[in-house]
Amino acid sequence: MITPAAVFWQKNPALAWREIDDETIIISPNDSVMHELNDTGRFLWKNIDGTKSAAELARLLVENYEVTPDIALFDAQALLEEMSSRKLVVTVPATRGISP
Amino acid sequence: MTATLSAGATPIMDRLISRTVQKHRPLSVHFDLTYRCNERCVHCYLDHDDHGELTTAECLKVLDDLATSGALFLTFSGGEIFLRPDLYEILAAARRLHFDISLKTNALLVTPERAARLREFGVRRVQISVYSDIPAVHDAITKVPGSLQRTLAAIPILLEHGLQVKLACPLMQENLLAYRGVMALAEKLGVPYILDLTITPMLDGSGGPLAHRASVSSLLPVLQDPLLHACKPQPSAQTTSAMNALPPALEGAVSSGIESRAYEDLPCSAGHNSCYISPYGDVFPCVQLPQAAGNLRREKFEDIWYHAPQLERLRAIRESQLPICSRCEIRSYCERCPGLALMEGGDLLGAYERACALAEEKARLAGVAVPISALHREREAAPFQTIPEAEFAFLAADSSSD
Repeated sequence: MITPAAVFWQKNPALAWREIDDETIIISPNDSVMHELNDTGRFLWKNIDGTKSAAELARLLVENYEVTPDIALFDAQALLEEMSSRKLVVTVPATRGISP
Repeated sequence: MTATLSAGATPIMDRLISRTVQKHRPLSVHFDLTYRCNERCVHCYLDHDDHGELTTAECLKVLDDLATSGALFLTFSGGEIFLRPDLYEILAAARRLHFDISLKTNALLVTPERAARLREFGVRRVQISVYSDIPAVHDAITKVPGSLQRTLAAIPILLEHGLQVKLACPLMQENLLAYRGVMALAEKLGVPYILDLTITPMLDGSGGPLAHRASVSSLLPVLQDPLLHACKPQPSAQTTSAMNALPPALEGAVSSGIESRAYEDLPCSAGHNSCYISPYGDVFPCVQLPQAAGNLRREKFEDIWYHAPQLERLRAIRESQLPICSRCEIRSYCERCPGLALMEGGDLLGAYERACALAEEKARLAGVAVPISALHREREAAPFQTIPEAEFAFLAADSSSD
C-alpha cells in the first residue's frame, strides 16, 4: 500500500486527456489505451495537481462526498495505485510540489 | 462510493463518439499547418503556395481555443509539416494543452533528432504516405527522385523513438496494383496501413487530380482481392490501440478514421464532432468539404463551431432524408461522402456518379443480382431529366476565406 503522506501525486505529463462535459477521457500515448473515470474518479483527477498527498485527496473526498475518512482514504489510495500502475499518475517528493 | 477507472478501446471510444455527436462537441480536429510541400504529388488537391499562413502566435491561440472547446484528438498535417519552422513550438503548446497528437507527413525530413523531438512533445502517431514499394512508382507520383528510399528510411527511426507509424496509400491509376506491395511492406515493418480509393478535386473545385483517379472498372481486382477482405491489416501490438478502431483497410478507405454506430443516419462525422482548419485559419466541416464556416483570425473557434449557419445546416442532414440516396436499394454498400457529393455532383444532398458506381460494384461482389443505384434507376426512368446544379457556386463563394 502506498504511504499516504510520503509523496504528492501529479498527472503524468505525457498523457493526453480532456474533460468533455461531465466526462474525463485519458489516453496514454505509450500504449494508446483509453481510460475513463467515474464521478469520484473525476473529482480526484481534477485535484491531482502535484501538491497533494493521498491523505489530502481523501480529505477532499470527505468534504465533498458523504463518505467516512477511512473509506475515502481507502478509495483514494486504491485509485492512485491503479492509476500509478497504468502510468497515469506519478509521484513527486512531498517536499516539492509540481504545478500540473 | 468507489472511484473507478475504466480502460479499453472500442466501448469507451463508441460512448465518447456518441456523446460528442449528440452534443456537437469538437472531439477531433484536423489542422493543416501549411500547404507548402517538398513533394509534388500528381493527385494532390492543394496548391503549394503560402497565401498567408497563420503565424505562430495565431496557431497557439487556435490551440488554446480548441482545448477550451473540448477538442481532444488533434492531427497536424499539410502540405509538409516539417516545413513549418515553428513546428516544435506548436507541438509543445499542443502537449501543454493535453491534446492527443497525430501527424501526417511524407517523412522526407525525418531525422533521429527530429523523431526524438516528436516523442518529447507527446506525438502518439505518425501517418506516412507510401504509394508503392517500388521506387519508380512512388517517386513518379511524388515527382521527387529518391523519395521512397528516404520515406522508408524514416520509418524505423520513428519506431525506434517509440512513435506509432501508420502507412497511408491512396490508390490511383499510377499505383493501382501496388497495394499488395504496400501491404507486405507494412507487415514487414509491423505497422498498420490504410488503402484509400479517394482522390479528391482541388479545394477550389477544379478537377485536376481526378485525371489520376482509377476507373471503377479498374478497381474491380482490388475490390475482389480476397487478401484485403480476409486480412487483418494491423497485426502489430497497435491493433489494440484505443484509437485504432479502424475497419479493414478498404472499408475505411473513405472514412473519417473513426467508425461508430453513433453516425447512424448521419452522413459522417464532419461538423458533428470533427472539423478541419486550414493554414489560413478557415474552419471547414472536413478537408473534403470546401464550405468555410468562418475564419479564426476574425472569430473565436467556439463562435464558429456553435453558431455558423453552414455547420447548423450540415448538422440537420440525415441520410434517411436525402432526396435520392434515401431511396437507394444498395445504400448499405455505399460510402457516399457529402463533400465529394458537393464537389463532384454539385449538391451536398445529392448522389454522385462515383459513389453510385462503386456501390453497384460492391453490391455485385456481395451477390446482389442486378444492383442499381437510385441515381441510375432515376436516370433510366427519365433519361433526359436535368440533374440540378444545386449549390456549388453558392457554397464556393461562401467558402472564400480572407
